[in-house]
Amino acid sequence: MILGRVIGEVWATRRDPRLAGAKLLVVRPHGLYEPAIGGRHLVATDDVHAGVGDEVIVCLGAPARASAGGNDTPVDAAILGVVDRVDFDAGLMATPGAGPGIKRPFSIDLTAGARR
Amino acid sequence: MVMGRVVGRLWASRQAAGLGGRKLLLVRPETASGKETTRLIVAVDGLDAGPGDRVIVAHGSRVRDLTVGSEVADKDVIVGIVDGHEVTAA
Repeated sequence: MILGRVIGEVWATRRDPRLAGAKLLVVRPHGLYEPAIGGRHLVATDDVHAGVGDEVIVCLGAPARASAGGNDTPVDAAILGVVDRVDFDAGLMATPGAGPGIKRPFSIDLTAGARR
Repeated sequence: MVMGRVVGRLWASRQAAGLGGRKLLLVRPETASGKETTRLIVAVDGLDAGPGDRVIVAHGSRVRDLTVGSEVADKDVIVGIVDGHEVTAA
């Protein structure tokens, strides 16, 4: 699972029929993870009524499909939770280049995310 | 899934049996605010998208199995054609 912020919404009338009715949100992952083929964003289905500005937990792969309405839904990312609070020690977080996929320092503006 | 722009169509007269004559599109992933990246992916089209369309591309073998069939040798599949998107905090 990854942590990210909902930054927008996507509308698509023509879509795979098994995605009918799914709410699609644009999520910007926080730091430690970059989608392999993307432009620093993910499009994820939403089952927990997240909104723009929320910090969310996004699950990738098989569990995302299970959450998005059954194992035969063709999605690879789903929002599984809205984060109320994160405690972490910034000094202990990995630095960019410390490992595969770590391209930016991990940073999260808790004041903006903690509006609930 | 990620959003991207279909920038072209790809034909190959000699291709692996696994591609089975499927329609292949060149997709350039975009940032959330709609700026093109320098990356380029070849995606199987399950929805009759065309050049110029902004699309949603899903990745993975299971997604591929569910949409275009397990025999297809490509793990990037177009699952949606974007009508509009709104990003407020890019």
